[in-house]
Amino acid sequence: MMRGNLYGLFIAGLFLLLGCTAKKSEQIPERSYRVETIDMPEGLTAETGALEFLPDGRLIACFLRGEVMIYDPGTKKWHLFAEGLHDPLGMLVVSRSEILVMQRPELTRIKDTDGDGEADLYETVTDDFGITGNYHEFNYGPVKDKDGNLYIALNLASKGGGIRPEVRGRLDTLGRSVGKDMFSVVPYRGWIMQLTPDGRLLPYAMGFRSPNGLGFDAKGNLLVTDNQGDWEGTSKLYQVQEGNFYGQPASLIWKKDWNMGSPFDLSIETLDSMRTKAAVLFPHNIIANSPTQPLCDETKGKFGPFAGQLFVGEMNASRIVRVMLEEVDGALQGACIPFLDGEGLRKGNNRLAFAPDGSLWVGQATHGWAGDDGIQKIVFTGKPPNDIYSMKLTSKGFDLLFTRPLDDSSALNPDHYKFERYYYEYHSKYGSDRMEVTAVPVTEVSISEDRKKVSLTLGSLRAGYVYQLNMGDIRTVSGDSLDHHLICYTLKNLAPA
Amino acid sequence: MFWKRIALLFAAWLFIALAKAQPSNDITVSISAIGGLQYDLVRFQVKPGAKVSIVFTNKDDMEHNLVITRPGSRLKVVNAALALGDEGQKKNFVPDLPEVLGSLPVLSPGDKRTLTFKAPAKTGVYPYVCTYPGHGAVMFGAMYVTDEVMPLLKDDPEIPPERRSGKKELRTGHDTHTAERSHSFREDPPYLYRIFLPDAGPAAIAVNLPHRLSYCWDAGACRLRYAWQGDFLDNTDIWKGHHDAYGKILGTVFFRDKTDLPLRVDQPGNIPTVKFKGYKLIERYPEFHYTINGIEVYELIKPKEDGTGLIRRFRIPQTKRMIWFVADPEDGVDYQSSAGIWRDVRLRLLPEEAREFTVTMTKK
Repeated sequence: MMRGNLYGLFIAGLFLLLGCTAKKSEQIPERSYRVETIDMPEGLTAETGALEFLPDGRLIACFLRGEVMIYDPGTKKWHLFAEGLHDPLGMLVVSRSEILVMQRPELTRIKDTDGDGEADLYETVTDDFGITGNYHEFNYGPVKDKDGNLYIALNLASKGGGIRPEVRGRLDTLGRSVGKDMFSVVPYRGWIMQLTPDGRLLPYAMGFRSPNGLGFDAKGNLLVTDNQGDWEGTSKLYQVQEGNFYGQPASLIWKKDWNMGSPFDLSIETLDSMRTKAAVLFPHNIIANSPTQPLCDETKGKFGPFAGQLFVGEMNASRIVRVMLEEVDGALQGACIPFLDGEGLRKGNNRLAFAPDGSLWVGQATHGWAGDDGIQKIVFTGKPPNDIYSMKLTSKGFDLLFTRPLDDSSALNPDHYKFERYYYEYHSKYGSDRMEVTAVPVTEVSISEDRKKVSLTLGSLRAGYVYQLNMGDIRTVSGDSLDHHLICYTLKNLAPA
Repeated sequence: MFWKRIALLFAAWLFIALAKAQPSNDITVSISAIGGLQYDLVRFQVKPGAKVSIVFTNKDDMEHNLVITRPGSRLKVVNAALALGDEGQKKNFVPDLPEVLGSLPVLSPGDKRTLTFKAPAKTGVYPYVCTYPGHGAVMFGAMYVTDEVMPLLKDDPEIPPERRSGKKELRTGHDTHTAERSHSFREDPPYLYRIFLPDAGPAAIAVNLPHRLSYCWDAGACRLRYAWQGDFLDNTDIWKGHHDAYGKILGTVFFRDKTDLPLRVDQPGNIPTVKFKGYKLIERYPEFHYTINGIEVYELIKPKEDGTGLIRRFRIPQTKRMIWFVADPEDGVDYQSSAGIWRDVRLRLLPEEAREFTVTMTKK
């Protein structure tokens, strides 16, 4: 016993020694990403609703009590740019003196016209949508596509609240169920709206519940996250296309020429046949419970090897999720994997923005939910991650591409790839269990010559399921273990044979 | 037979007598999960061995459970629930631990369930906690199993610190220091908030002016709705988030508009259609910009120098139409204008007069 302890101490000491030497001589960082916390101005309640960078490299952030503040990363000083806004939850930078902010009542152009560093002009860009005063009618966006169209998202109202005696917009209670579903009784709650360059606000896509996150992938596809709840068995990432319905029925009443009565009276089969399914499902309590903004990594390597992929904030945990997409049979689908867990990162990760230096800034907000407030940044230390780079569907199974070459013996062991397949129920009930959870055996494993690609053949592949992969102790050639062992692929379409 | 009956009667009498002599210790407690990750009830007391019924209602808009643990085991149970990972949902985030005494499953918003159990014979403080991932650190309360008196609420270490004030405060998620300061800057009038206000549409603007005057301007209806004197607003309730709320008016309302819109075009009876275009800050006073029947209007509201009312400056630079300003005799103020002709409470302005004019409203 005594001897064992001493031996252990000796080994620990040796490691400590080695650790110190390694640090001194080579300066290899221990981790690939480091989290730093930004000092916030005293007195500010830093519930971050929006976060962007100005063309001059300064950070601009909106906070839910109405402030827009600018932070100079060089001097580390904050100053107030605008104030008095109502729950600003999205922003688009136009220039160093002009922004668009999505607040509850309007999309507003905010300008500093006299150059004193403080905004003095607040112009309505659009208020062509309804509000009932229900606390849950948050508005998100805008994001801008390559043709100059803007997109905003309008949250449904919650049964946790009501509607006010005076509402804005035409009131139609058809969009409210007798049950607990979130509701849409003024236009166009539950929709993504398109604002054309000539200023017309057009209904674009419907069926959203709490779409707290808009973005584009590298190819310019519009992506929107939605949160688990009624009609959302788990949280999702949608590829949003014009005219599509994405699942929560309330918003259907604002569809042009809608004549099918209460959408809540339609059968699940009818609704299910009408809806477009998600590109990526975020399994609840496994990947994310409240995903927020999807942000494409356009840092060209400054933030590590995942350029072109998406990062998604998670409100409910100290986590950032990474999403990799591919087009299969004409639609986007793909996988999600934890990117960063803990390591100093707080909860409430609501907004993301890349700084010109390639660091990922994260704005956090609680606002009565689980989370934290403030702003942090995630810096790539230069140490290459040991991670799955991408997961692609093949006709027989999946190809896993890794960031580093793998050790053959651990990578070729089929026991190191445990697949489970399941789906989520589409129903009015809040959330869904994982249904029909079934283990799927891996029948064949092969590795590429450069040892970075592992091809897996699965016992069976079926569309409409999440394939959750738990990996065992796979090592890189240098003997390092992987940073993450869990990845979930949403198999929407099978790969054409 | 006879003796049996006597014995039975005696037993029944004994039972009733005992029940009368010793009042029932059974207790029914209602606990709701409410917004801000908290239970509305943060503690209650039961006698050792008493029958306890907890009626648990989820009044929040996310999922919650309620798990009763052994004394001092709250965090252990919370962490074990978190460690359930994939299995969590299936198990209602209730870990298989001897420290768990009882539980109510994860309830969806609006659902209600009752748990009945016998309180432990051993006195102590038994925490109850929501073990849904992310909730357990802040969402908890305490069941006191004791014959003694519970400690003062403000000194009770077994309940969330925010709840020791005794108010059923919604959690704001901010430390208590920030409650005194709303922002990182000083709020010197004039300044404004876009915020939900009572007696207005949902796109309201609250403006605080010098001389302890404030007003509510409705960006949906494009009109001044009411004005008050006193302090400005208490936004505490609305800033908690996560529930329907209004900014609270801190003062006495002295003016309330009773028209559909004071400005009219051509005829005083025609109610124009309006569109809100925004506002410009002029020395921090907002000048609202809107249209009535497509005609551009600018409106700037300042306090009267003596603090007895408001001066509204209108600019309608491009109209060729007759403009009317219509008030209501019962709206609480007396009117004066810089131009036009009053007929009762209707002011008629020629197009050139309407280019710029003021309407002064003095408290009656």
